[in-house]
Amino acid sequence: MTIFDPLRRREFLGAAAAGLGLACGRPEVASDPPVIELVGPDPARGHRLRDRGFASGSIAATEDVGVVIVGAGAAGMAAAWRLARAGFDDFVVLELEDGIGGTARSGAFSRSAYPMGAHYLPAPHPECAALEALLEDLGILLGRDAAGRPDYLPSAQVSAPEERHFVDHRWFEGLYPGEGEGREEAEAWARWRDHLRALDRRGVDGRRLFRLPVARSSVELRDLDRVTMRGYLDGLGLTGWRLRWMIDYACRDDYGCTIDQTSAFAGLHYSLARGLDEHRPILTAPGGNGRLIDAIAGRVDLGARLRVGVAALEVDPDAGEVVTVRIADGERRRLRARSILWAAPRFILPRVLPPGRDPLPSGALRYTPWLVASVEVDRRPRGLGAPLSWDNVPIDGPSLGYVVATHGEDAAETRPGAVLTYYEPLTAADAEGLAAARRELLAADADALAARVRAGLEPMHPGIGPTIRRMAITRWGHAMIRPTPGLLFGEALALARAPIGVVRPCATDTAGLPLFEEAFYAGLGAAEAALAAVGRSEPSMIEDEVG
Amino acid sequence: MPPPVPRPPSPGGARLLLGSVLIVATCGLIYELLSATMASYLLGDSITQFSLVIGVYLSAMGLGSYLSKGVKRDLYDRFIAVQLVVAVVGGLSAIALFFGYAWLSSVRPLLFGILIVVGTMVGLEIPLLIRILKDSGELGDLVARVLAFDYLGALAASVLFPLALLPTLGLSRTGLLFGGLNALVATACAFAFRDQLRRPRALQSTSLAIAAALGLGLALGGRLERIAEEELFDAPLVRSEKSAYQRLSITREGDDVRLYIDGNLQFSSLDEHRYHEALVHPALSEAEAPARVLVLGGGDGLALREILKHPSVEAIDLVDLDPKMTGLFTDDPLLRELNEGSLADPRVTIHNADAMRWLEAHVRGGGAAYDAVLVDLPDPNNFSLGKLYSGPFYRLVGRALRPGGSGVIQATSPLLSPRAFWCVVTTLADAGLHPRPYHAHVPTFGDWGFVMIAHEDRPPPTTLAPVALRYLDEATLAALFVFPRDQRPAEVEPNRLSDQLLVHYYEEDLRSIEQGRRRAR
Repeated sequence: MTIFDPLRRREFLGAAAAGLGLACGRPEVASDPPVIELVGPDPARGHRLRDRGFASGSIAATEDVGVVIVGAGAAGMAAAWRLARAGFDDFVVLELEDGIGGTARSGAFSRSAYPMGAHYLPAPHPECAALEALLEDLGILLGRDAAGRPDYLPSAQVSAPEERHFVDHRWFEGLYPGEGEGREEAEAWARWRDHLRALDRRGVDGRRLFRLPVARSSVELRDLDRVTMRGYLDGLGLTGWRLRWMIDYACRDDYGCTIDQTSAFAGLHYSLARGLDEHRPILTAPGGNGRLIDAIAGRVDLGARLRVGVAALEVDPDAGEVVTVRIADGERRRLRARSILWAAPRFILPRVLPPGRDPLPSGALRYTPWLVASVEVDRRPRGLGAPLSWDNVPIDGPSLGYVVATHGEDAAETRPGAVLTYYEPLTAADAEGLAAARRELLAADADALAARVRAGLEPMHPGIGPTIRRMAITRWGHAMIRPTPGLLFGEALALARAPIGVVRPCATDTAGLPLFEEAFYAGLGAAEAALAAVGRSEPSMIEDEVG
Repeated sequence: MPPPVPRPPSPGGARLLLGSVLIVATCGLIYELLSATMASYLLGDSITQFSLVIGVYLSAMGLGSYLSKGVKRDLYDRFIAVQLVVAVVGGLSAIALFFGYAWLSSVRPLLFGILIVVGTMVGLEIPLLIRILKDSGELGDLVARVLAFDYLGALAASVLFPLALLPTLGLSRTGLLFGGLNALVATACAFAFRDQLRRPRALQSTSLAIAAALGLGLALGGRLERIAEEELFDAPLVRSEKSAYQRLSITREGDDVRLYIDGNLQFSSLDEHRYHEALVHPALSEAEAPARVLVLGGGDGLALREILKHPSVEAIDLVDLDPKMTGLFTDDPLLRELNEGSLADPRVTIHNADAMRWLEAHVRGGGAAYDAVLVDLPDPNNFSLGKLYSGPFYRLVGRALRPGGSGVIQATSPLLSPRAFWCVVTTLADAGLHPRPYHAHVPTFGDWGFVMIAHEDRPPPTTLAPVALRYLDEATLAALFVFPRDQRPAEVEPNRLSDQLLVHYYEEDLRSIEQGRRRAR
């Protein structure tokens, strides 16, 4: 009940005041230096495992357990959820780090939780019934309306304004850089959209051409995995920079690869796997996908079955034995299991298997390193043009910009400021480049990385530096599997996920695309196989799905 | 450069100085009147504000006069500098207070700060002038003339301010005008007495720059003025509270008590019964002896007053973000009289929370569904409010409403913002809540829109529960659901959380009305 004046007095005054502020130099500069911390995975633990740096010791105890899940990331937790859903509770989950979530881990400032890595999940396509079942079980999918459409918790959805991009010192709504677009470019963009619509169909085998998980896509266009996305666009004669930027951005965002590095199948998959519904909600939380992980942990009520800060040191795939070591005190245990789900990154597996036991050639899978940093600022950043959005993307520079962790916060929140999460994939072209980028990332100290993050934010928000109160920096040496040409349907991936004795590799990377959905289905599939191995007959949630 | 030798002014210079006494005195009183007027506009209770402003200002002048004894050298320089300080602080005082009102938690320190600076400077002026002029005539004669000019200026100010300046220029520009005059006096003196000045160049250029800046402000001030002064109300302010979320202002003129939130009218006591009867009774009558009712928004307790007329009601949950709002309407005697103490009724539970979060927690926590749900939130003029008009929010509302129950949504004006109104209707339809739009004439608002909701497809209601009503009867009720030819549904998309088209519709509708008004002018 309001008669509102459209002149927006307060905003006008705010803009005028901001103008005055600019003219007189910046007011209210934070005086204390920001608190900078390194969070996320501890590279030393991984390297100690790689270098077999754990001193040998005696086994303190031997336990018999039905299923061992190694890795409490999205895949491992999905597997745990599936086992619990089947009423099977004879399992343990091992996690090398002190916190769960893997690349979907989250941290928290007193102001707000923040993601350390993966931070959103598009509401699933209706054919992903198992994923919908998870979301329903977690209370994020509330139910369905009369038409059968899922009804998601409003606070779990990204609300407007969703996206803006920064070009020529101004912000514009949405992601497509349409400002100043010529007729030819507009036509090319329309042609690209038409092209996608034409590909939003089922293939000769009755399956959708692109779907999740990717392994279930129709066979019809799988040859597109042999060419790069750039080559594919060249073939279509689509060359304008706007369109190229948009698709390149999408590939870097989802895969940490440029269009030169991404396979055309993966590039198309980004746009088509969830259908072309533009109104599909995006599910997120201040802590990103860590909220999903934490919700699963709460739902499954892991209790003592979750062992964090514990490394799987040796795996005997034939005897079904895992030797674990607790990082804190070096205590060793032997777990004898009927099934071992390897939900940790696949490249670690050969380091714990007996030599020569891994059929996958070393270096067959490649990963993009990422730098992710959450930044608490004491003023909400503004900028000319479109208002602060959930996702804020610069057209130039190596970073993908930042996501506002505090975007969807409670209206009752009165604290000023915001928490921004900055994302930068290190998209080197080849193995040497990636290794060099990884070394550089891990060698840099916190202050150097903080300076790099500030330098990434500064062009979008001149003067943001002094407003920064805290910064939590996560270095991901191996954040994302790279879907370069030939990976998705090639031999390496088939070997990567092939069981080895009782060990089932099922982390996200074995699916070829670094997506939550892939992790979920990989974990789910492995858990169902484990249930079969322990003699629990259970109708498959995956086979239920159509197509 | 050696200090200039102090000399008495020439006869022409003396006339200039005496003339400036007139202007200085006028300006001084104008700033005082401006501050007092601003204070009573912004803080209410004009007698207190005027008394305080006059007292503080006069005592600051006294302080200035006392401090003038310490000024022994460079009298001309000091006089001009004092003029310039008064020009800047006094000239910008009204604008500063408007900004301060919008942005500071309390505007009083700013107000009294301005008063003390301007008062002290004005208090310095006359003694300084007398000391400059003291060698150009007999002292008694001089004091008589200076004081005569001083009081003459005060008379000019007190007549001009209410009769000419306030009606034509408004507050901000009056301030700028007199700041400019102060600066011109300073400029004239800086040139006329350049031989007497220690730093003539600096004072001349500073004076000119300040005069020019204030003149420019005066020329451009129209727009700023209009926006700033929308904070002002047509009627005397009796209460003003600033919460963490909004500014609540209560005005009263005779029987007409009004609530403004951030300067936007929320109700007038003269006709709010029309709004609240239309909001509450169609849905509550249809819900058939409702026992449990949920109200989202409505912290003024006026909808509650109407709900409590239904004897079947046992429990009401009221969710309003702002504890200041519900507190004000619980404790203030005037407002409590309006809502008949509804917020303190034992059947009412107040929850100060984000309506979306509260409803989510209620639904996820398996809270019982309500017999009636009333959504009475501010118009969707920003994305935070737009969320509370979105499909996902309405689906939650639907989950909180039992089958067979009845609900209502305030949905802005179908006349002022037709696309916004029909967007609410479309969104409710998309959320499966079988919307039945209706509208009522509320004179202070114009044509106002509501939407009844239910899980079932139902015809418009035709009966009212037997409760005491001033506006609605059954014939009127039937008419509310009729939309004439020129108010047929607009073609609009539903309001999704991800794009919130409603916020755009609302802004565009109001903008086009504003443009129409400007053209009509």
